[in-house]
Amino acid sequence: MSDDRTLSNAPSDRNDEVLQWVTYKLGEETYGINVMQVQEVLRHTEIAPVPGAPEYVLGIINLRGNVVTVIDTRSRFGLEPTDLTDNTRIVIIESDEQVVGILVDSVAEVVYLRSSEIDSAPNVGTEESAKFIQGVSNRDGELLILVDLNKLLSDEEWEELTNI
Amino acid sequence: MSNRSSGKKNVMEEYLSSLLTEEVAHSEPLEQVSKLLDSASVLHITEAEQQKLSAQPSIIDPDSIKVEQLKEAVELVDHTQSQSLTPPEQSVDSDVEEDNDTQHEVGRVTKSPESDIAQDTGIYTEPFQTLIFEVAGLSLALPLTELGGIHQLTEVTPIFGKPSWFKGVMLHRDEKMNVVDTAMWVMPDKCNEKLADSAKNQYLIMLDDSGWGLACERIIDTITLQPDDVKWRKFDGKRTWLSGMVKKKMCALVNVKQLIRLLQQGMNSNDN
Repeated sequence: MSDDRTLSNAPSDRNDEVLQWVTYKLGEETYGINVMQVQEVLRHTEIAPVPGAPEYVLGIINLRGNVVTVIDTRSRFGLEPTDLTDNTRIVIIESDEQVVGILVDSVAEVVYLRSSEIDSAPNVGTEESAKFIQGVSNRDGELLILVDLNKLLSDEEWEELTNI
Repeated sequence: MSNRSSGKKNVMEEYLSSLLTEEVAHSEPLEQVSKLLDSASVLHITEAEQQKLSAQPSIIDPDSIKVEQLKEAVELVDHTQSQSLTPPEQSVDSDVEEDNDTQHEVGRVTKSPESDIAQDTGIYTEPFQTLIFEVAGLSLALPLTELGGIHQLTEVTPIFGKPSWFKGVMLHRDEKMNVVDTAMWVMPDKCNEKLADSAKNQYLIMLDDSGWGLACERIIDTITLQPDDVKWRKFDGKRTWLSGMVKKKMCALVNVKQLIRLLQQGMNSNDN
């Protein structure tokens, strides 16, 4: 699961921070989230809908006695919905001391990326979903889109989740 | 080093000669350009190398008319801030692409001071060469001095939250290229998703060194235009991406600098 590349310890590289990213798929695109924010990955389980919840909230699950809200990532990113498969996963993440789950098509691997390997996304687009993108990286000929989990929800939306 | 320089020189000479030759059968220019594109790579001739080449009469045939035209047409430009599409250390031979994606790259046409002024205003006062390409039935012309390269369109990764005309990012040799759905950008009102999807875009026309590329279905021709061949538009702040109309081809001549500015600001043709 881990990256096979040798990470040098040359002086010029010491300031080039290496971060680990958990990658997951939505459709054909691969996204990455900071591993430090990932608590665990669950197989898809029954999600209880919550009446009156925002449209991007799929519902809640029981995680070892704790209620965790599950967010529909596709809806949040403005993507078309898709059917559940055996590869569908719920990634439990922590942001601002709040724990939520995000539904993804599949989880791929953990990759190591240097800060220098991360480029900013094209600075176009006024849609709300554009703010979720932290950057992009070229990974073995494939574009990896890095998601900023802290911007997944606004402060008001995080607050709203606590009341679900 | 000298072998590499002479190799690069020959390729560039052949390519530019083909562009400067006007009286060619309609189907020939495209074939010639295609052949050259297959074997050429982006070339940068530094001032030192140019002086070296000039000092070596055995490489350049001073009696060749084409070479004279080449000398007149090529002027050194300081490319200290330019971005090459291939690493400079690669040899010409290694840049020949034989694999299935058959990516085409074109030697950069260096710029004259007059063309620098033309890029700012969009109006050329000297003869200039253009690339004509087509997308969704629309023909566009782009000055060759502002052509960053032509690539075969391969896998494009869409990025959510971007305008509908932004198709995504294409990776090419560690370079990230922003792909513009040209039809959607130019004709946002007339071009629906169905039409955009039906367009069989094959190439990516790169806009200077910006990292932005226009997807197109086919490359039609490269022609030399006289200033009188274009109905120039006034720079009135509206449709700044449009320099004018090429009369004999009835196609729009793109103001690349302004187009890049609009793309970077996330605007389409209607927004300006």
